[in-house]
Amino acid sequence: MNITLKVWRQKNASEAGALVEYTVSGVVPEMSFLEMLDTLNEQLVAKGQDPVAFDSDCREGICGMCDLMIDGQAHGPDKGATTCQLHMRRYKDGAVVTVEPFRAKAFPVVKDLCVDRSAFDRIQQAGGFVSINTGNAVDGNAILIPHDKAEKAMDAAACIGCGACVAACPNASAMLFVAAKVSQYALLPQGQPEREKRVLAMRDAMDNEGFGHCTNEYECEAACPKEIKVSNIARLNREYLRATLVTE
Amino acid sequence: MEAKANSASKCSCRVFEFLESSIGKKIMVAAAGLLLCGFLITHLLGNLLMFVGGDAFNKYAEALEHNPLLPIAEIGLVALFVVHIILAYRATYLNRAARPEGYQVYKGKGARTPGSRTMAITGTLVLAFVIIHVATFKYDVGGFKGMAGEEGLFAHVLGWFANPWYAAFYVLAVGGVGLHLSHGVQSAIQTFGLNHPRYTPLIKKAGLAFAGLIFLGFASFPVYFGFIKNCMSCAGGAH
Amino acid sequence: MKLESKAPTGPIEKSWDKHRFDLKLVNPANKRKFKILVVGTGLAGSAAAASCAELGYQVESFCIQDSARRAHSIAAQGGVNAAKNYPNDGDSIWRLFYDTVKGGDFRAREANVYRLAQVSNAIIDQCVAQGVPFAREYGGTLSNRSFGGAQVSRTFYARGQTGQQLLLGAYSALMRQVGAGAVKLHTRREMLDLVVIDGVARGIIVRDLVTGKLERHMGDAVLLCTGGYSNVFYLSTNANTCNVTATWRAYKRGAAFANPCYTQIHPTCVPVTGEYQSKLTLMSESLRNDGRVWVPKKKGDDRKPQNIPEDERDYYLERKYPAFGNLVPRDIASRAAKQMTDDGRGVGKTGLSVYLDFKDAIARVGLDKVKEKYGNLFDMYHHITDENPYEQPMRIYPAVHYTMGGLWVDYNLMTTVPGLFCLGEANFSDHGANRLGASALMQGLADGYFVLPYTIGGYLTGTKLPKVTTDHKAFVEAEGDVNARTKSLLGANGKKAPSSFHRDLGHIMWDKVGMGRNAKGLQEALSKIPEVRAEFWKNVSVVGVGEDFNQTLERAGRVADFLEFGELLAKDALTREESCGGHFREEHQTPDGEAKRDDEKFAHVAAWEYKGEGKAAERHTEPLTFDNVHIAQRNYA
Repeated sequence: MNITLKVWRQKNASEAGALVEYTVSGVVPEMSFLEMLDTLNEQLVAKGQDPVAFDSDCREGICGMCDLMIDGQAHGPDKGATTCQLHMRRYKDGAVVTVEPFRAKAFPVVKDLCVDRSAFDRIQQAGGFVSINTGNAVDGNAILIPHDKAEKAMDAAACIGCGACVAACPNASAMLFVAAKVSQYALLPQGQPEREKRVLAMRDAMDNEGFGHCTNEYECEAACPKEIKVSNIARLNREYLRATLVTE
Repeated sequence: MEAKANSASKCSCRVFEFLESSIGKKIMVAAAGLLLCGFLITHLLGNLLMFVGGDAFNKYAEALEHNPLLPIAEIGLVALFVVHIILAYRATYLNRAARPEGYQVYKGKGARTPGSRTMAITGTLVLAFVIIHVATFKYDVGGFKGMAGEEGLFAHVLGWFANPWYAAFYVLAVGGVGLHLSHGVQSAIQTFGLNHPRYTPLIKKAGLAFAGLIFLGFASFPVYFGFIKNCMSCAGGAH
Repeated sequence: MKLESKAPTGPIEKSWDKHRFDLKLVNPANKRKFKILVVGTGLAGSAAAASCAELGYQVESFCIQDSARRAHSIAAQGGVNAAKNYPNDGDSIWRLFYDTVKGGDFRAREANVYRLAQVSNAIIDQCVAQGVPFAREYGGTLSNRSFGGAQVSRTFYARGQTGQQLLLGAYSALMRQVGAGAVKLHTRREMLDLVVIDGVARGIIVRDLVTGKLERHMGDAVLLCTGGYSNVFYLSTNANTCNVTATWRAYKRGAAFANPCYTQIHPTCVPVTGEYQSKLTLMSESLRNDGRVWVPKKKGDDRKPQNIPEDERDYYLERKYPAFGNLVPRDIASRAAKQMTDDGRGVGKTGLSVYLDFKDAIARVGLDKVKEKYGNLFDMYHHITDENPYEQPMRIYPAVHYTMGGLWVDYNLMTTVPGLFCLGEANFSDHGANRLGASALMQGLADGYFVLPYTIGGYLTGTKLPKVTTDHKAFVEAEGDVNARTKSLLGANGKKAPSSFHRDLGHIMWDKVGMGRNAKGLQEALSKIPEVRAEFWKNVSVVGVGEDFNQTLERAGRVADFLEFGELLAKDALTREESCGGHFREEHQTPDGEAKRDDEKFAHVAAWEYKGEGKAAERHTEPLTFDNVHIAQRNYA
């Protein structure tokens, strides 16, 4: 089948970009969306044109490298899936698809569809860890963790840091990302010693990066490829309020 | 001495930091919003006396006006509005700034509701309404209206409702309140950090029901006293 | 070149302790004077960078992706082994050691493997302390499962995302050090050359993938933690950016490349559907714990799986290996699947897959339990194939997944270039000819957390390192080499995208150097690969310029290296005239089709030394002795 793409082309961070139309031929339903873009790029290279830059790595939905806003939806129309897990059987022959980068002030465009998500790394640096040096650990079973708590922590820890929550949020808020990390540690005994310090520091880092506020639109949850729940955002709010009230 | 000053400045600094933080701001907006909901309930209950009769309503209004605590309550109310509005506008401004270049196509995955999409618009509409509402009903801007056979505030209110434009605007505005609350109530509760798989669906439903009741309750006044009653008396006159 | 393993002698239980004691320590105040360059941020790289920074060294860390959290360790699903013996089922350090040596088909260094088993327990403790949400029992203790050929339950897991959780743990430790200013992190950087001064590794040349500019970085030691080379097969379960470039350039600067022919084919992958395919998806082999592998007894049976009655199904793993059944090691399960499809009993449109059926498991433990255990894997399969595995059996087929070969390292994880260390999948060390399931995560973290941080101190105190700057002529030369190479890639002005050459190479590798190898096929590969390589340099098309964000150029450079490396792999496979682990030479098999080792001639590590452009690489050997595990034919029947 043939697919018409309107792809955001932007030379670099400082130049303005625009949508450019391409037709990709020879698309088959079993292809992934990224393989369709690979095909487009091979066709562009054959014509001596500059291929479209886009990020991807594992292509199995776990590394969080691929992004893309496809027809106005982060990671495309499927729920609980990343762009690399989207297949062309979702589209009909002759479909017109608009592909844009994730947009946020905190995610500046690097080139075409690639954005800089290092803001997430910096938030993590502010407090997204347990301060335990190698070699300091006690036996893994020394501290018991109830099954359900561990499962809940795992639900939050499943975040792949792709940034879809930010991309989908009308306010470009990073609350779901931060909430997932804060929740994981808040739920586990290992996270307790730095519980207040962590949430205050990560909130601060998040705001400093220029992300928006959470207005509980829940588009983040709908877009999250790992289906991380907004109940984590409630926990983050709670943790932040608690930390503000109890810290000296 | 110095230590005291330090801790005071540290304290005020902490308050400022909280208000300027994305989460703190939302918590304050949510808290003020929920308290304003409390005000809406008492206001609605008072207004419902209009259906009991002009006398009952006027007496309630007078009692309220002569209550020495009223100015304090009014200051509190204004403060709630100011906090709610300023912080909400500030958040909205920062949210716009968080995505300087918008999407060419933005569709989302269906989580947004009509209420959530329009919070800034309905909020602004309600603000405009509150100003006009207070100006006309409390400070008699636009003159004192009367209604044959009625007295006091009740006559004034009925006089305004007799103006179909005013009545329609009133309905529209309380519609805005309803829409605002349809998102606002459950949103505020989420912002306080209350979310539970068992209760959150109930809270969402209760929020919607509350929004609907507030809308129906307030809309009933202009609809009944402005349109239905007038039409009935028109129809009666013709008879 | 001399391959000195430096493995301690004496009782193996004491060897690591003794070695650690013998290693000289670096004075705490002196640590910050040493700079360590760590390339790669997977389990080994992140763990090493964080641990070295915690010790006080200056660390600079480099990764090819936009964030350190995306390294391919993240895709490991099944679990991580440790000899905790929590389930009380008879596990011990000795048993893990024994299983790993045996699983590796007696082609690994005993001392290394023993150390790996020894530190395995500390890894679990460390990860738990970092907040890794391992699966837990209702009583709050850690859950274990049996995994990939083990008869004890020693595998710790976090749903089907164990690699992700362990990596995020290591990444969080790394981020903590970055935040503290102890590690300088460079993302979107690709290492394109190693700088060797007076025979000692002193730096690297990296390309900033955003600006395209080359950077010189100087250090007192260089750690390569750059993963495996499965992508030489084009289709593998590895991520797109996984490549051999860093280790290949190190090889060309003097680091011996050991056992490149040891590649692992993973039995439970989603089958190939067409030419356009960019990668294969692995599903954790933990699926084999509850799934039953079968094909129709009849050739060309095209009925729906649900319509094939029990007695017309061949549960061939259970039939051939009654003791281990569906849990036989990876190489055996993979070859058995290939035998079935070669026999014309493969299923699916292409006939290149076998069934993995959960019907019995669902009936036995219930849908919910199966969902809890494998939910995300089932969803992943459903997404890819549009077939619901809760309703019909999965279809699986083997794919290249892991490479046991890599840069040769001694017991200290140092390569043949002093100062150049190699960790994790990138080195050759612990898995011999075949890696057991859930042991890759264990090795990556063992190297990064608990081995390298000790051994690097021994190197740094024991070596006199003259002060050099990045203006040194070795840096200038290395950068010049990289530039020249980029120029020739850009100047080829051909017609074909780099990926199409990669695909051509992949076809040769999979057909001739894949699951089953023979002398004739390998010789064919050895004559065909240079042809593709020549064609590549003549006809590759790289659009754009060098000093820009240019993904085609990145790809071209990696393909160029694979085109050289593939030849070495084939050559190693041809030279190793035996079958062992993942290396299966069809000429060397038992009457019932199992791998037949030749311990007389090949109980050694083969390490290849680069002798210059156009010259044949020289094969060196490190003999392997087995004083603790009795060498025997593997027998899983």
